[in-house]
Amino acid sequence: MYHTLFDFLTHTEGATYILIGVLLISFIPFWKFLTEREREE
Amino acid sequence: MSVDTADSGRNGVFTPFNLISGAILLGGAIILTIRFTTGLASTTNLSDTNPWGLWIGFDVMAGVALAAGGFVISSAVFLFGMKEYQSVVRPALLTGFLGYSLVVIGLLADLGRPWRLPYPFIKQAGPTSPLFEVSLCVALYLTVLFIETTPAIFEWLGLKWWRRLVAQLTIVLTIFGLILSTMHQSTLGAMFMVTPTKLHPLWYSPHIPVQFFISAIAAGISMIIVEGWFSHRVFHHQVQISDDQFHDINFGLAKGGAVVLVTYLAVKVVALSLENEWRLLATGWGAWYLVELIGFVVAPCILFAVAYRERRLGLARMAAAMTVLGVILNRFNATFIAFNWQVPHEMRYVPAWTEVWVTVSLITFAVVVFRWIANRMPIMYEHPDYPALH
Amino acid sequence: MSMSRRGFVGSLAVGAGAFSSGAADAGTIEHFEGYPDRYGLLHDTTLCVGCRSCEVACAEVNALPKPRQPVGDLDVFETVRRTRATAFTVVNRYQDGDDGNPPVYRKLQCMHCNEPCCAAVCLVHAFTKTPEGPVLYDPEVCIGCRYCIMACPYYALSYEYDNPIDPQVMRCTMCYPRIKEGLNPGCADACPAGAITFGRREDLLKVARDRIRKFPERYINHVFGEYEFGGTSWLMLAGVPFRELDLHEGVTHESLPAIGTSYLSVVPLIVTIYPGLLAAFYAFTKRKDKLAKRELEAALAEARTRGEEEMKAKLSNAAERAKKDKEKAVEVAVRKALAEQGEGGPS
Repeated sequence: MYHTLFDFLTHTEGATYILIGVLLISFIPFWKFLTEREREE
Repeated sequence: MSVDTADSGRNGVFTPFNLISGAILLGGAIILTIRFTTGLASTTNLSDTNPWGLWIGFDVMAGVALAAGGFVISSAVFLFGMKEYQSVVRPALLTGFLGYSLVVIGLLADLGRPWRLPYPFIKQAGPTSPLFEVSLCVALYLTVLFIETTPAIFEWLGLKWWRRLVAQLTIVLTIFGLILSTMHQSTLGAMFMVTPTKLHPLWYSPHIPVQFFISAIAAGISMIIVEGWFSHRVFHHQVQISDDQFHDINFGLAKGGAVVLVTYLAVKVVALSLENEWRLLATGWGAWYLVELIGFVVAPCILFAVAYRERRLGLARMAAAMTVLGVILNRFNATFIAFNWQVPHEMRYVPAWTEVWVTVSLITFAVVVFRWIANRMPIMYEHPDYPALH
Repeated sequence: MSMSRRGFVGSLAVGAGAFSSGAADAGTIEHFEGYPDRYGLLHDTTLCVGCRSCEVACAEVNALPKPRQPVGDLDVFETVRRTRATAFTVVNRYQDGDDGNPPVYRKLQCMHCNEPCCAAVCLVHAFTKTPEGPVLYDPEVCIGCRYCIMACPYYALSYEYDNPIDPQVMRCTMCYPRIKEGLNPGCADACPAGAITFGRREDLLKVARDRIRKFPERYINHVFGEYEFGGTSWLMLAGVPFRELDLHEGVTHESLPAIGTSYLSVVPLIVTIYPGLLAAFYAFTKRKDKLAKRELEAALAEARTRGEEEMKAKLSNAAERAKKDKEKAVEVAVRKALAEQGEGGPS
């Protein structure tokens, strides 16, 4: 458990940075998948 | 198109520009040598009470805002389809890249242990810190800007395959750049949220991140006008667009500047209202706040609007210069003027002449490099072998 | 059915417990109590006589140079001093005592906040709040950005600006090594007037409130540091309003880390929302371009067919007219010929 807000934030914000990095990168294959047929024509 | 280097002439290397800039850079190098061999105390007026001074206030805070033109114009052209601004994309991106490089160099001068700059990423991270977010975004954005500058380099070197590869990345880089810029421009303002007792209430606001972001857009637009003012004359032999097109671009930017500044004004007034700070306007600090707001936000906003309506280039340029000065003033206020406003007079911070000289050296360095690149690479014009990007 | 907040948090706890080993949930509304049994110090400014023995002891314990102004030199109180890289604590005089009331002194040093903002703003996590109470600084990771010094509301931190090789942030450490050995901080041991008491923070709060209760005319009815900006390890009692001791009275109980980093929760929103939003703008732009191009092509095509038809019509008209002209010319020629024939008759 976290005794201080500082410890809590260190953990959660650190994990969130990594999460959003993954989410951001995965948007690219998602977009490519979505618009594949458009680009074929 | 053959391009003569602007300093090949009768005087050869010893043109007035080269001599003056050389002297400035030499002085800067000497001062920085002293700084790195004897510590910050010898070349700055920084103190325990004032840990941040001109190098943070200008090189970092103002520098990042003034380099915002890159993301503004590339988003306008590539994401919002405003193709009429295509010809200023490269100068703006180059200004941005050099600006952010300046920020990093300025930071290296200011940090106590600059060789530890990568520590947040390679040694130990402090993810709760707004400065962590800023450093991460600036590092990534500097990379983005560099890649966005390479098409001109590849064209200059004739590397067609590389040029085509990078061109395909334009949209992804522009989107990523806009994400990063939104974040770090705002977060630079957010860095002051932790000091409610030290930053004067007229400048302190929970909305300061939004205020910094919007003013950065205004600064970016204005810097494109200011940079174009000089570049258009100095590189006139390269320019391919007609005078009419150049004027249209400036007036379009003026229109944008007017809208952004009036938005910024509204956001600042809302902040006053939310904290019920009207009475503070009647104080000495209030007067200083009004100087910044009226003289450097309202005035250029009106000038931009009139310049656009009446097609007066001179007014647009004046408004742009005032906006640039206003953003610099705002960042100075946040960093060391309105910051520590309650500290006794004798302990307030004033920049040392050595700090000023180093800052001027960095600006000079950026101008020199800009000039060197623009004289050799297709920045002010389109290389005939390559179609326009997108 | 209405759910109490605790009930809602409770249900969240059940859910979150599945992911983490009892880690805190719903941080936005949770109150963090801090480490239990942590130490603190009580500074009773009504007992402080300005002898500055604490300054001397602090310098000794931390191997710092002796205070520049020797003990007994009363001129030192002419100015309000602050801590320095070589002086982790100073005692200032805030009231002269000319008006018949006793002079008022206060000792300044790092407050070892419950939620330290120096720690929250450090981009290399150089600060930690220990379970024992002191906030510690790790010079091994510090890059010297001095954000911690900029942020501290108590102006407690200093920097070694004259050190080019390994400058550090300098500050009171609450004598952490001594505390670990079961000793008291140097200043607490040195104070002859009992103005500094070391103990568990919880106990010191009781002591402080007890003193206020027993001597209400002596003390302002407030223990400074209990809640201000989330609370500090150094608690203070005073006989004059705290703002006269250069302390910020009446500030929020919300911690500076909470205030200063609240905005950072927006950052993930930008990263997650901008891609879709900007891709949409880009798609709108391309769509507009495509439609504009299609319209242009359609207009061109129409103009071309119209032009062809017009040309055709013009040609047939011209041919028609040419034919009519020819017929008329033939008619005129025939009439002329007939007329000449008529004249050439009987005369």
